[in-house]
Amino acid sequence: MFESLQHLIAGFGIALTIHNLFYCLIGAIIGTLIGVLPGLGPIAGIALLIPATYNLNAVSAIIMLAGIYYGAMYGGSTTSILLNVPGETASVITCIDGYQMAQKGRAGPALATCAIGSFIAGTIAILGLVFLAPPLAEAALSFGPAEYFSLMVFGFIVLCNVTGTSLVKSLMMAVVGLIIGTIGLDPVSGVARFTFDSMDLLSGIEFVAVAIGLFGIGEVLANVEKPLESLEGKVLVPRLRELYPTLEDLKKSIKPILRGTAVGFGVGLVPGPAPVIATYSSYMIERNVSKHPEEFGKGAIEGVAGPEAANNSACQAAFIPLFVLGIPFAPPTAILLGALLIHGVSPGPMLIGDHPQLFWGVIASMYIGNFILLLLNLPFVPLFANILRIPKKVLLPLVILFCVTGMYTVNNSVVDIWMMLLFGAIGYLLRKLDYEAAPLLLALVLGPKLEVAFRQSLMISHGDFRVFLDRPISMGFLLATLLFLLIPVFRIIVKSTGKGGGFRRSVGGEKV
Amino acid sequence: MNEKGSEPGVQGGHGGGSALNRDEVIGGILIFCFGVVTAYFSLRIPLGTFRAAGSGLFPLGLGILLMGLSIVLLIKAYVQGRPVIEKKPLSEVPRSVKQVILFMGAIALATLLFKQLGYPLMWFLLLFALLRILGVRRWALNLSLCFLTATGAYFLFVLWLQIPLPKGWIGL
Repeated sequence: MFESLQHLIAGFGIALTIHNLFYCLIGAIIGTLIGVLPGLGPIAGIALLIPATYNLNAVSAIIMLAGIYYGAMYGGSTTSILLNVPGETASVITCIDGYQMAQKGRAGPALATCAIGSFIAGTIAILGLVFLAPPLAEAALSFGPAEYFSLMVFGFIVLCNVTGTSLVKSLMMAVVGLIIGTIGLDPVSGVARFTFDSMDLLSGIEFVAVAIGLFGIGEVLANVEKPLESLEGKVLVPRLRELYPTLEDLKKSIKPILRGTAVGFGVGLVPGPAPVIATYSSYMIERNVSKHPEEFGKGAIEGVAGPEAANNSACQAAFIPLFVLGIPFAPPTAILLGALLIHGVSPGPMLIGDHPQLFWGVIASMYIGNFILLLLNLPFVPLFANILRIPKKVLLPLVILFCVTGMYTVNNSVVDIWMMLLFGAIGYLLRKLDYEAAPLLLALVLGPKLEVAFRQSLMISHGDFRVFLDRPISMGFLLATLLFLLIPVFRIIVKSTGKGGGFRRSVGGEKV
Repeated sequence: MNEKGSEPGVQGGHGGGSALNRDEVIGGILIFCFGVVTAYFSLRIPLGTFRAAGSGLFPLGLGILLMGLSIVLLIKAYVQGRPVIEKKPLSEVPRSVKQVILFMGAIALATLLFKQLGYPLMWFLLLFALLRILGVRRWALNLSLCFLTATGAYFLFVLWLQIPLPKGWIGL
């Protein structure tokens, strides 16, 4: 424990250099902007900014990109509260009570509670990260290819189970992502696959093109189709003196913040869109433990404090599987894995030992980033809220131009732009046909690792598939996978016996 | 968050009594075809054995798995079925979809001419076209927005960040 603290102090030394502080600040500001702007989530935001990090060292690059991720979580709540339109999916729950508070003239305290809750949650979650990551990394050293294969399969199944509208459709998307991941040179034998003699395809499909296409261009096209006036409602911009919550507000918020932090941290460690599940779970818990559940949905501050803390805590905890196992459990961390690989860093159990500056520097920067965001979010909320006044018909074309610029700069190649446009069109079609793109992206990033683990396992066992069941950890993951595959069947049985009943509510056009 | 295990709005267990959901069928067939193409091309790559898997074995397995999942989806769509929402004939493309096609068309054209036009001119023309498509009709506003942002982008990306973007025949 003391060793971790010593490393953390060294990490602060790295994160507090002027250079890294600057990139932390830039990441936090851009992240907040991305979170504030509806239609541009952290996935597209990180993907778009990866090319801008090519000239940076790996530590500064990841500090900035991580800042975009958790900054977007902070910013996402602003549109939820002021417009009833979630800036990103994790902020959907905040719409319920946050917008009601704004309608009652309490937008300021709602926004301040979000910022304070996120800061507290972020701080506690980072401490969890500091003390949990090193022992987990040691445990992960005993993982062989069979364990990694089973863990990745488990991750896919859980993600598919909790995203989209249908397990079958999500699984189909994951398999499509795995297939796209096989394009290019075989990672084991070096044989060219599905390249059709094109030199551009030899190095595989550029994952940044897929990410910007599916999540950036696809989202813009989906917005172009909507009546644009629908998102240009009147923005309630609170004044600075109206921002600060009362003592009563803080008293009411502190327990939900702590509960939300715990829930978020736990959820962040398992596969799936952690911030979304964490906010939903936290809201349900707060409503259940409240002495006045009838106030929920009408502007209860607990309904804002808990989910926002859970959201940020989950986001920070999601770095543990990424850093320790080298396996991202959600699309934003999958993009960060891609960024790490671009910068020549291969995350996994050896990361802490091989790249201590990166690991501890990024963790320390996350704490500093949380502090910057607290400072930014309170006084600058009116400024960020004013950004929402930019008409979407101006904003959407600008997003496209930034996507085109960002994509070109990856390899100075127009082919990448075509690839991005192709995946943009696919992303738009997927939305129309009600398919979820997140499993596709995660599978694309993890595909080569999964294939290598699968083939190595079979090589070790001389072609015997029992290798996945003979090893206890691997078998545990596969049993858990089976359990998750059976969940929909249980749900159908429960529904058919009339015991089903869910929590559905339409917020800002999204079902929760 | 939608519940899993059932499609939204599905009526459940009509045994083909109601019409199929067109979107579900189109999606299922398209992805099935993708699975077939993957499996076909995988067979042209060495498959090896389970003991020493070749490059084609993994994608072949994925292609077959995708075909299987598509069939499950199509069967589900057939068994569960749901009343088809009255749709206009395919020849009548809604205005919103036309807007998307125009939008994509403009981006594709700009990409095609990117090297020739150069970065700042491409930005100016593409932004102008996209703003017009989205209904920014005032010429003065449109032109000044395009000019200001194109200049800003040129200073940011070309002069400050020194990214080697195409100069085109205007040489900027």
